[in-house]
Amino acid sequence: MSAPLPVCLEAVTKHYRQGRGIEGVDLGVREGEVFAFLGPNGAGKTTTIRILLDLIRPDSGSVRLFGLELRGHSVELRRRIGYLPGDLALYEDLSAKEMLTHFAHLRGGPPWGAIAALTEAFELEVDKPIKALSKGNRQKVGLVQAMMGDPALLILDEPTSGLDPVVQGQVHRLIRSASAEGRTVFLSSHILSEVSQVADRVGIIQDGRMIDVRRVRELRGEAIHYVDVRLVGGHPFNLTGVPGVSSLPSENGLVRLAVKGDLNPLIGALARDQVEELAVREPDLEDVFFDLISGGSAATERDSRADS
Amino acid sequence: MWAVGMFTLALVMTGLYPTIRGNPQLAKLHDTYPEALRSLFGITDLTTGIGYLRAEVFSLVAPLLLIVLAVLWGGDLIAGEEDRGTVDILMANPISRSRVLLEKWAALVVGVVIAAGGLAIGLVIGILTTGMHLGMAGLSAALLATALLSIVFGTVSLTVGAATGNRALARGSAVALAVIAYLISALADMVDWLKEIRPLSPWYHALGVDPLASGFSLVHFAVLIGVTGAVGLLGVVAFDRRDLAV
Ligand SMILES: Nc1ncnc2c1ncn2[C@@H]1O[C@H](COP(=O)(O)OP(=O)(O)OP(=O)(O)O)[C@@H](O)[C@H]1O
Ligand SMILES: [Mg+2]
Repeated sequence: MSAPLPVCLEAVTKHYRQGRGIEGVDLGVREGEVFAFLGPNGAGKTTTIRILLDLIRPDSGSVRLFGLELRGHSVELRRRIGYLPGDLALYEDLSAKEMLTHFAHLRGGPPWGAIAALTEAFELEVDKPIKALSKGNRQKVGLVQAMMGDPALLILDEPTSGLDPVVQGQVHRLIRSASAEGRTVFLSSHILSEVSQVADRVGIIQDGRMIDVRRVRELRGEAIHYVDVRLVGGHPFNLTGVPGVSSLPSENGLVRLAVKGDLNPLIGALARDQVEELAVREPDLEDVFFDLISGGSAATERDSRADS
Repeated sequence: MWAVGMFTLALVMTGLYPTIRGNPQLAKLHDTYPEALRSLFGITDLTTGIGYLRAEVFSLVAPLLLIVLAVLWGGDLIAGEEDRGTVDILMANPISRSRVLLEKWAALVVGVVIAAGGLAIGLVIGILTTGMHLGMAGLSAALLATALLSIVFGTVSLTVGAATGNRALARGSAVALAVIAYLISALADMVDWLKEIRPLSPWYHALGVDPLASGFSLVHFAVLIGVTGAVGLLGVVAFDRRDLAV
């Protein structure tokens, strides 16, 4: 028998007094993986995450963490969870060091030495009152607070918001290494490039409902590459028989192509001609994503926009 | 901070005592007040130590300030965490909601006791320097009663805040209840139907029974402690059932 899932939601519904939160969400996060929860603003990511922390209670459905029913095991489960809130608020009058040591004490947890390793990695000023820190540095305090003590499950609601690219990279590495050590990471994001760098699987939520769960590798497989080709002498290019390729309007001899999925058939076809110029743009996960949430119309919309 | 304020208040109030005592006209002036006013402000004989402290310190000013402290603070303890959004990282720790509430309540009690301690020190210094005649048993009973009364309304504020997450509602309802309790206790001597419901007023059990003169009363203090416990328990139950910061 396999170990119970660190996170398992079944048909979880939560309505706020003012309206929809989430609707019948099913979700399983496996041990040791980085699972990204992807969705536009207001999709229900924070709602789902706050249910996992027992901050809000679902109207119906079952929430189990590590195989335990959340209600009734809330305290012992939170001992195994590190949480970074999406709308991060800290104790402004305390210094980072004061807040972190207090929380470490509440968790019966790590000595300051272990926490300091994290704050130093982030180059965080720990003695200033938190109200004197910049937004990015507050976010770092929140991240240290979530990651200290190496919890078995990290729940991070938009972990890199407000961080500069260097620190973002640092956070991504920390997330990957947590997962390499066998810990589980559940993070939310609406930035696809981030998700594709850091996650193993992606769950996509929109309007409070789970739309799809995919491996990031599969998503890449469906990604669209944009290829610009110029043949020697400006010859027209014969596309017949090349799968997944559609041509966009060409500009003075530069043939522009959109290729869905595998590039190899196109490369094979190109080899038959003399290529003067060739450019391939990165797979655009944004397009795959919008494809998914709009039921497959985004990429074609974009193509037709290019037409006009 | 509040302890220093209460200390200063006590010094100033007792410091004025020699002036009043040495001025029979001023003391008599109060006799011309209508009965209702005198009852409302607990005015009896201002020239004795007990009468003076009862009227000027324990009838309204000291309990009012201490209650305001307890209510403002109590209302902020939980509802303020939600308002500022810190409840998310607080409750991410492996601690139960009841424990959080209990620890917040303990902090409130300690704070009120410290502020009441400031008042006590100020009063004792004032009493000794002005040569006021006063039994220490009565004084400590009145101080304890004042502290307990503030804790009652501070707990109301904490509980309403924990049950609703609404700081303004918590503070407002606790203050409203305190005002009602005060009026019932102060006016009961003149209004018959108020006298009948007087036992419902915590103010009556604390200061309405004149602890300065009559000293410790186990029954009345037990009522105050019981009310605090019951209100606190309501808070624990309500806080545990609720969505936080929505
Ligand atoms: N406290 C609340 N009261 C009422 N409605 C809420 C509350 N919080 C969220 N909602 C509603 O629930 C839905 C889901 O919101 P949620 O915050 O979970 O989205 P999200 O995916 O985290 O969005 P974002 O990317 O903007 O953080 C939204 O329609 C939102 O308006
Ligand atoms: Mg959110």
